[in-house]
Amino acid sequence: MPNTFAEIQNEMRNIAKELLESGEATMVIGWEKGALPYQSTPVMIRSAEDVDKLIWDEYCQQNLSTYLIDYIYTDEKVAIFAKGCDTRAYNRLIQDNRIKAEKSIVIGVPCLGMKNAREAAKLPEGAEVPMANACKECRYPNPVTFDRKIGEDVTPWCTERDFSDVEAIEALSADEKYAFWQSQYTKCIRCYACRNICPACNCTSCIFDQSASGWCSKDVNASENQFYGVTRAFHVAGRCIECGQCEMVCPSEVPIMLMNKKFIKDIDSLFGAHEAGIDIDTPAPLSHFSVSDPEEFM
Amino acid sequence: MKFIEKTNLTSLLAQLDAQYRLLVPVDYHGLTQFAPYSQVDSGVSQLYLDGNVTVSPKTVYLPQSEAMYKFSAQGKKLAIEEMPPLDRMQVLFGVRHCDTKAIQCLDKVFLDDTFADPQYKDKRDKTIVFSLACNNPKATCFCESMGIDRAHAEQSVADVQVYDLGERYGFEAVSDKGQACLNALNGMTDGEAKLPEQKPQSISFDAQGLPEKLKEMFDHPIWDEYAFKCLNCGTCSYICPTCHCFDINNKMRGTTGLKLRTWDSCMFGEYTQMAGGHQPRPGKKERVRNRFLHKLQYFNEKHNMSLCVGCGRCIAKCPVNMDITKFIRQVIAE
Ligand code: SF4
Ligand code: SF4
Ligand code: SF4
Ligand code: SF4
Ligand code: SF4
Repeated sequence: MPNTFAEIQNEMRNIAKELLESGEATMVIGWEKGALPYQSTPVMIRSAEDVDKLIWDEYCQQNLSTYLIDYIYTDEKVAIFAKGCDTRAYNRLIQDNRIKAEKSIVIGVPCLGMKNAREAAKLPEGAEVPMANACKECRYPNPVTFDRKIGEDVTPWCTERDFSDVEAIEALSADEKYAFWQSQYTKCIRCYACRNICPACNCTSCIFDQSASGWCSKDVNASENQFYGVTRAFHVAGRCIECGQCEMVCPSEVPIMLMNKKFIKDIDSLFGAHEAGIDIDTPAPLSHFSVSDPEEFM
Repeated sequence: MKFIEKTNLTSLLAQLDAQYRLLVPVDYHGLTQFAPYSQVDSGVSQLYLDGNVTVSPKTVYLPQSEAMYKFSAQGKKLAIEEMPPLDRMQVLFGVRHCDTKAIQCLDKVFLDDTFADPQYKDKRDKTIVFSLACNNPKATCFCESMGIDRAHAEQSVADVQVYDLGERYGFEAVSDKGQACLNALNGMTDGEAKLPEQKPQSISFDAQGLPEKLKEMFDHPIWDEYAFKCLNCGTCSYICPTCHCFDINNKMRGTTGLKLRTWDSCMFGEYTQMAGGHQPRPGKKERVRNRFLHKLQYFNEKHNMSLCVGCGRCIAKCPVNMDITKFIRQVIAE
C-alpha cells in the first residue's frame, strides 16, 4: 500500500495515466506545485504525457470537487483526487444536484492534515509550519466516498470539535460582540473569494451578484459587508463541511469560521448532531422540515 | 541626504501628522493597508514596514467606494450637492517602488490628456508621496523583471525618496513639494550615504517582446490551461495596485441618494453585462484572458507601459495561486 507522500504521489500519476490512456476519464484534476514551497495549486491533466506534473504534499488544500460543476453540461468525464473533506464536499454537491456521479471519478486520498499556508507565508524559511486550523479539528481525514482509493486509511487525530473560540465570543456583551465583528468586517474587501471557493456556496446565481436588485449595494463598508458575511453564513448553515477554505483564502483575514462554527454549534443543539456531507442520504437540517422541529418563535 | 535614527521615526511621523493628513502602512487585525496615522497613535493598528501591504495605495486615490455627489428630489426639482475636495494636504508614507509605478499607470487613465478626473486629480495634487526602497523583497516580488527601478521610485509620483540604512532612514527630496516638506521637519541631520544593498529577487525573467507575442495568442490553448482553475473572485483585481475598473451606482434612501463610484472586476459576472443580458465574456477563459491581456498587452499598446508592475500581490493572495510570472515565462518561451 502506498502511504508516504512520495508513494501516494507516484500512485496518483499511475492512476491518472491509466485513466487517460484507457479513455475512462477525459481529464484528471489534481494538484501541481505552485509558485512557492507552501503553495500547491489545481492542475488539469488531459494527456498521459503530463501526469508527472501531479504532486501530493502538505499544501494540497484546495478542494477539487467544486470544479466538477463546470463540466456538468459537457461530455467530459472528469477524475478528481479527493481528501476526506473533498469527498464530503462531493457528497454535498451531489445532494444539491449540482454535479453528477456518472460524470466523475473520485480517487480518494486519506489525508494527514494540510499545513497552514497563510502562516507559512509569514514564518521564516525552514520554520516548522503548524497544521491548518480547520485540519486540526477534522474528524474525517479519510475519504467518505470514492470510486478508487490510494493508500491506507489514517487514524483521525480529532474526535470532537473545539468550540472554545465560539464560546469566547458568546461570552461577550452585545456591545463587545458588535465591536468585534465591526472591526473584522471593516477589513472585508468583498472580493467574494470566500464564497467562490466554498463547496456549499454553489448557487447558480447569488444575490450578491445582483446589485440592481437593491438587496446589497456595491458600497463597501462594515455594515454592508456584515450583511454579506451573515447572509452567507446563514446560507451555508447545515451544509458547511468545515473545510476552512473560506477563512484560509480571505485576503483580509476575517475569521469566517467563527461564524460557521457558531451555526454548527447551534444546529447541533437545536436539531441534533449533524455532519454535513458524510453521506448522501441524510438531508441537511435546514433543507427539510420535520413536525418535531423547535419553533419557539412562532 | 537627510537622516533620522530609526528610534526617532515616531517623532518624525508625529511631526508630519501635525502638519498634514498622514497615511502610513499599517497592520489592522491581520490586514495590511494604508490608514490614517491616528490608528497607530491610538494603538488600533501597528505600523507595518516589513514589506508591501496587501491592499495597495490605490485606495488613497481611487477608494473602493467613493461618493461622487449627493442628490435629492425637492418637489419636481433635483438638487445636486458636490462632494467637498480634500481640505488639506496629505502625506502618504512608505509607498514601495512598484506601487509608485502603479500610480503612474493610474495617472494614464485618470489624468488623460483629454479629461482629468476631478476627484482623482484633487487627491493626486494634494498628496506628498514618501516612497521607501525595498532592501528585502518578498518571495513573490518581481518588480525588477517588469522594469521597475528598485533604487529610485517613479519620479512623476514620488516626492521624497526614503532609504532604509540599517540604524537610520535616509531621505532625499525628488520634487519641490517634497523638498519643502523635508525642509520643514526638525531633528534631521545632513550628510552623504551609500545606497543600501538590495537583495536580488527570487523570481526573475526577461519580459522583452511580451506584448507583441501576446498579440498573436488570443486564441491560444494557454488560456484554457490557466483559466480552468480560476474562481472568478475579485481578489486579484482588488488587491492589484493597477487594476482600476469601476462601476457607478446609486444608493437611495427615500428622496435622497448618493452617486457612488465603486471598484469593479473583470472577473465578475455583472462586469460587461449588457442590457438585455448578453455577456461578451461569459466564462473563466474570457475573463482571465481579459485580465492578463489588459495587464500585459492592451495597456502597453495604448500607453507604452505595462499594467503589471510586478508587486506579486496576486501570486501571494490568489486562492488558487494563479501565477502571472509562470504565465509570462511560458508565453516568452512559446
Ligand atoms: S463555509 Fe467555509 S468551511 Fe464551510 S464549506 Fe464553505 S468554504 Fe468550507
Ligand atoms: S474572502 Fe474575506 S475579504 Fe473577500 S469577501 Fe470573503 S470575507 Fe470579504
Ligand atoms: S486569478 Fe485567482 S484571485 Fe483572480 S479571480 Fe481567479 S481565483 Fe480569484
Ligand atoms: S497583476 Fe499581480 S503582480 Fe502585477 S501588479 Fe497586479 S497584483 Fe501586482
Ligand atoms: S515588487 Fe519591488 S518595489 Fe514592490 S514591494 Fe517587492 S521589491 Fe518592493
